[in-house]
Amino acid sequence: MATLLAQRKHWIISMTVVCLVLGGLLGVQVHTQQVRGLTEVGRQTGALISRLTEAEAQLDKQQEEIERLRGLQAEYEQEAASEKGLVRLMTEELGNARIALGLLPVKGPGVVLELADSTMMAGGEFGGQDVYVIHDFDLVQIANELWAAGAEAISINGQRLVSGSAITCSARLIKVNDVTISGPFTLKVIGNKKNLMSALNIRDGALDRLRVLQFQVKLMPEDEIVVPPISVGSRYEYAQPLQKEEKQ
Amino acid sequence: MIALPLSALIVGFLAVYLFLPAVPPRWADYVAIAILAGLDALVGALRNWLERRFDEAIFVSGFFANMVLAALLAYFGDKLGVDLYLAVVVALGIRIFNNLGRTRALFVTARVEARRARTAAAQ
Repeated sequence: MATLLAQRKHWIISMTVVCLVLGGLLGVQVHTQQVRGLTEVGRQTGALISRLTEAEAQLDKQQEEIERLRGLQAEYEQEAASEKGLVRLMTEELGNARIALGLLPVKGPGVVLELADSTMMAGGEFGGQDVYVIHDFDLVQIANELWAAGAEAISINGQRLVSGSAITCSARLIKVNDVTISGPFTLKVIGNKKNLMSALNIRDGALDRLRVLQFQVKLMPEDEIVVPPISVGSRYEYAQPLQKEEKQ
Repeated sequence: MIALPLSALIVGFLAVYLFLPAVPPRWADYVAIAILAGLDALVGALRNWLERRFDEAIFVSGFFANMVLAALLAYFGDKLGVDLYLAVVVALGIRIFNNLGRTRALFVTARVEARRARTAAAQ
């Protein structure tokens, strides 16, 4: 009986030790899991805080910019009120910018070029119909040569060519500034008459090639040409002016 | 009789939980494996005791050795890029479940036999 009791006691002691160890391990694990959960929440909070600070910094910057622009506006208004030279200068500057953008009709000396399809019959000695009609690339080449010769304003059938103008071909028609035009084409060009004439009449130039194929080309210098403004103003959705402090 | 091991369990838990710092998170998996191995040993001991073939030396050595081995296996699995951790969890889980089922069956048989003995005595 005594040995049985002793044995049983021994058993309980070892069981107690085992349970102590197991309890300790459970404690470690529960503690660790809790800490882990806390740090994950902490990490998320940290990310949110950094984003908030960033946004706040941006807001501050923008408010500064607003202040600066308001100051500038006030300055301009003051200048306008006191009718100093600045207004005149700025109006001039604005006028130049508007001409460059094609927002104003302009007049001046230059040349008028009239182009029509070839009088030769399709399927003639040079090939099919494609050869005898004016293509978008013909106009592009002519416009390029005109710009190179110092043209200041060009219009094709009333469509003003500006810096963003595209001359494209769409289903046998030609589009300028996304507006469909068809022949005969009239180009009005303002610039130095002599330079423009010689640029167009250059040997093996665009007009030379067209004349060989008997296109109807009529080029005449004029003393006063009016070039119309662009019908659709350009919008800048993506391009932003680079501020000085942003330059890297 | 059962009070001493049970209180030891609670004391061990509280002592570590309250007074010791948490282990690094990458150790948590190994601790979990060790706990599973310990539980397996405990449940196995219960079953063996009910089957009257409980051996104290086997129990204690099995408890500690299985804990260490299970954690080591998971660790080597990590080093080799094989998820031995999962293998250990599945194996131990099945063993614990089987042993608990056996234990329940033994309890039920014991009670049924006791009732039968009582009714037999009454007749």
